[in-house]
Amino acid sequence: MKFKGSILLVDDEPHIRKFVGLILRQFSVASLTEASNGEEALELYSKQKADLVLLDVNMPKMGGIETLHRLRALDPDVVVIMLTSSATRQIIEEAAELGAVNYIRKDTPKDQIAIALRETIEAQFDQSMFEMDSL
Amino acid sequence: MENLAALSEVDLIGRKILIVDDDRINLRILSGILHGERYEITLAESGEAALEAYAKAMPDLVLLDVVLPGIDGFETCRTLKHLYGVDGAPVIFITAKSESDDVVQGLAAGGVDYLPKPFKPKEVLARIRSHLQSRTLIERQKLLVEQLSKANAAKNKFLGMAAHDLRNPLASIRGLAEFLCDGTVGPMTPEQLDLVRTIHDASQSMLDLVNELLDVATIEAGELKLQLEPQDLSVVLGKSIFLSNIEAAKKSTRIVQTEAPAVAMTMIDQAKIRQVADNLISNAVKFSPPSSTITVTVHAAPGVRGFSVQDQGPGIPEAERDRLFKDFGRLSAKPTAGEKSTGLGLAICQKIVVAHGGMISAKNLPEGGCEFRVTLPCPP
Repeated sequence: MKFKGSILLVDDEPHIRKFVGLILRQFSVASLTEASNGEEALELYSKQKADLVLLDVNMPKMGGIETLHRLRALDPDVVVIMLTSSATRQIIEEAAELGAVNYIRKDTPKDQIAIALRETIEAQFDQSMFEMDSL
Repeated sequence: MENLAALSEVDLIGRKILIVDDDRINLRILSGILHGERYEITLAESGEAALEAYAKAMPDLVLLDVVLPGIDGFETCRTLKHLYGVDGAPVIFITAKSESDDVVQGLAAGGVDYLPKPFKPKEVLARIRSHLQSRTLIERQKLLVEQLSKANAAKNKFLGMAAHDLRNPLASIRGLAEFLCDGTVGPMTPEQLDLVRTIHDASQSMLDLVNELLDVATIEAGELKLQLEPQDLSVVLGKSIFLSNIEAAKKSTRIVQTEAPAVAMTMIDQAKIRQVADNLISNAVKFSPPSSTITVTVHAAPGVRGFSVQDQGPGIPEAERDRLFKDFGRLSAKPTAGEKSTGLGLAICQKIVVAHGGMISAKNLPEGGCEFRVTLPCPP
């Protein structure tokens, strides 16, 4: 799938950004921006909106839930997928209530992460925003 | 750790004994017998005085005469038991030799033993020592249990934190190795590929271990919360079989489901029971020789639902049976195609099934192999 929108990837761990970044490569994303914490993400987002935000839950200082809360205040239409490692149901439910559209466990094999991303994009965006792979 | 069995007399020095008798001669005789034992002795001459003295001295043992002015010995004993409960000092009644009714009544009132008059010094000393020793042992045991459960909670917390912090880096190592393996980032020589596959497999098995450790830590910390919903066991098992068959095909093993009852609805946490099913099925594949057939059966009977997984492995040696569901209870059987095993899977399965109010059991089959059976309650 080709995603024509922009993505903001927020995770405090550089190796996770590298891993998820590689997965995103196959989506030929129009623009990919990375942030290593919540504050940075908010700052970037307020300057330049992203169509899709991939947001880590566990981050030092401002965590993913707090960041999600503030992002939504900034832009009620923001599309956010949470990145989790061991998120409890409680955190997942909290994120869902705050409007996150999906969550992805980072310890999932890359192809499954790609499938989850593709399905979320299909469900959340207008068809003009993506191109399906020709089979 | 202290050896509980090695309790010498030294440990009884300073132990407090309350002696209650309205007959001063008896008080003097008992004090005389105990003199030299280095106990701390308190004397009382009535039931009321005994209750007061008890509150002040908090003795480790009470010697209590039956016949007392005011409230008698039995009543005094009952009051003490009422006030101080199971942690109160044991009470030994002082009785006249012939009064066997007193003995029975005394034991009924909460006494643990009796000393017949006239006193035989050696008998008195031996009985007192024995009761003080048991009390000391019980106290130590309580303390130890308390310390152990604290240590265990700390261990679980540490385990949880360590496992949690290991998971993300491992997920990245495994994931980045996946990219190298499948050529997304360019071709590799066969030797490089072999090395990267090794990195991939090693990080995968570490990730599995870390995830299972986290499960154990979560469960042991009492944080296993079931989200019970009505589910059809046949459907849940069907999904598990479908996915497990992909892995099983690598060793030409087939997982088949015998004809299931049309629906086997019950209240379960679907994700958790899936975890149990996945684990039992993957064990069955792991420990059966290549080209085996694993048979899964869903059961439904009034009030119970369940499923069983039959393998064609070596079975469970009788001597290893009680280790089967223990943490790290890895047995002598080895996976037949070099698969990994953490030794935590069955322990986790058992904890999940028990949390559902169910049971998990294993038996060897007469035709070879073994069968794991999960039974879950099904409220009407």
